[in-house]
Amino acid sequence: MELTFQQLVFYGFSTLLLLSALMVILSRNSVKAVMFLVLCFVATSGLWMLLQAEFLAVALVLVYVGAVMVLFLFVVMMLDIDIAARRHGFTKLLPLALLVAIAFLFILHWLVGDNHFGLEQMEAPSDHDASYSNIRELGKMLYTDYFYPFELAAVILLVAMVAAISLTFRGKRSRKSQDIDKQVRVTKADRLRVIKMESSSSSQQTDSKSDEESNENKDKEQDK
Amino acid sequence: MLEWFNELMWILLKIGFILLPLILAVAYTTYAERKVIGYMQLRMGPNRVGPKGWLQPFADVIKLATKEIVLPSGANKPMFLLGPILFIGPSLAAWAVIPFDAELVLADINAGLIYLLAMTSIGVYGIIIAGWASNSKYAFLGAMRSASQVVSYEIAMGFTLVGVLMCANSMNLGDIITQQSGSVLDWFFIPLFPLLVIFWISGVAETNRAPFDLPEGESEIVAGFHVEYAGTAFALFFLAEYANMILVSCLTAIMFFGGWLSPFQGIPYLDAMTSWIPGTFWLLLKAAFFLFGLLWLRATFPRFRYDQIMRLGWKVFIPVTIVWIVVLAAWIKLQWWPFNG
Amino acid sequence: MLENYLPILVFIMLGLGLGVGLELVGFILGKNKPDDAKNSPFECGFDAFEDSRSKFDVRFYLVAILFIIFDLEIAFLFPWAVVFNELGWFGVTTMAVFLALLVVGFIYEWKKGALEWE
Repeated sequence: MELTFQQLVFYGFSTLLLLSALMVILSRNSVKAVMFLVLCFVATSGLWMLLQAEFLAVALVLVYVGAVMVLFLFVVMMLDIDIAARRHGFTKLLPLALLVAIAFLFILHWLVGDNHFGLEQMEAPSDHDASYSNIRELGKMLYTDYFYPFELAAVILLVAMVAAISLTFRGKRSRKSQDIDKQVRVTKADRLRVIKMESSSSSQQTDSKSDEESNENKDKEQDK
Repeated sequence: MLEWFNELMWILLKIGFILLPLILAVAYTTYAERKVIGYMQLRMGPNRVGPKGWLQPFADVIKLATKEIVLPSGANKPMFLLGPILFIGPSLAAWAVIPFDAELVLADINAGLIYLLAMTSIGVYGIIIAGWASNSKYAFLGAMRSASQVVSYEIAMGFTLVGVLMCANSMNLGDIITQQSGSVLDWFFIPLFPLLVIFWISGVAETNRAPFDLPEGESEIVAGFHVEYAGTAFALFFLAEYANMILVSCLTAIMFFGGWLSPFQGIPYLDAMTSWIPGTFWLLLKAAFFLFGLLWLRATFPRFRYDQIMRLGWKVFIPVTIVWIVVLAAWIKLQWWPFNG
Repeated sequence: MLENYLPILVFIMLGLGLGVGLELVGFILGKNKPDDAKNSPFECGFDAFEDSRSKFDVRFYLVAILFIIFDLEIAFLFPWAVVFNELGWFGVTTMAVFLALLVVGFIYEWKKGALEWE
């Protein structure tokens, strides 16, 4: 069988995808596993590109490789999971795992196999010329015909944002730092109070003393 | 079979025509940087190798190539060597979509702009992996700082690009430039001035250049993520950083200053007189201007504090860009817009 | 369309290849005389006494998470900006609602103090 160049690229990317996916679960070092997952996404992006979905292919790299996997890497680098210890029950659980895997494979084939997604059901995308832009087509559809799911996406993102903050953010810490705004906005009245003191009468002196004390208290309150 | 081979060779030749001048430009940017900053500080800069130090970059290359690549004892060796490769790959690959003149572009793709954004975001991996694999506290700290800084400014950069897209109505970089043709007044820097400023400053931050060079911060974390690197492994980081600087300068020229369009367009006699100058010249001239700006910034400003960097990125740039996108949308939709194509 | 992406594939390969090549050049041309002192991680004259890959501030995660969300937002904005002139008021309103929701989130995180780095 004569291979076309496109088919060659397809098989190249698929092999890369499968091998790196295998390495994700086989590598002992979790950072390496994440890097193989990155490779998976890159290979997938190549496959999407072969389906002529240029925007989605590049967006996959931008969002998953450029953003999501960076977070994964952060988490994995901090957790420092000891994989050797996790492997302890590997042989014991192997039969069960194999069973689950085979069942999963079967379901997967039933759902997205040839009977639903074969070439008879879905035609291969036709070749477009260089000027065809599916970004434009996508844009025309997404913001008009599919506005409802689009707004739902916005709500989900909002929930994610709030959840992220409430899960990870522990509030301000009491660290002493410069607040430049506060310093600039200070007026004379905040810092300085002129107190009238009369030296002659002793009773008035005690009065002014108590006055000073209350001032000090006020200052302390302000510091807080 | 032969056809593929021919095509492949042809592509490789074209890539060579981009890469070789680029590497030469990187070499002489390092020289220019030392000279420019030297003169700004009343020094001579390099002046010993060759006349006026012109051969200095070659001396540097030879020195770096013959130095030992030190592999730190605690390092994760394959990852340690992978770091620089992951850093240089995307920063070079981004050049594939840059239009140097009308019709003079390697890959004329419709998703050009988002491709550029994707490539710049992949560069983070090189930094994180390098910092993590080095097994050094300084490297790790530098990598963490660099990652969150690059990531923060990428958002601001993405939003400014949305503004450019709204004016250009295409992600193809060639189309973005042709949309600006007419005269200097049609260039995007006029309607998008706030976005231009934000784009350029974000570009400085993305390339980890002074005054945003905290990931290196030689006075506190010695050299950041590449403290353990030596020889050509270090040279790769260096090469990629300067290639990114030139890329950011070119992008500023392309997206806001009409790329390869002549500045004399639309002026009756001057236009005809200068029409023999190739567009590439104008692009490089504009890019050189912004590149000089990058060097100038380094000579002028002290380094930011980390909280100041994060505040600028999140609390100033992102709100301003969002507001400007809304303003732009209202402007264009209400037809109150002199640049309506 | 795909023929335009072939040069990019080649360019990425070549970029990575250049990285590998230059490191090989370094190993061939450079010396190779490792010793303990040279290979020890950089420190100010003493041995590092802690794992260098230490835990770091939770804020870095928060930045990464927020970055993902805003990055997605940008990915949604890009096609919208491209077809902006062809979209009617309906499409513009759709994006206005989308942006408004995210601005609410942005204001929330600002007010909550998640953007503060002391």
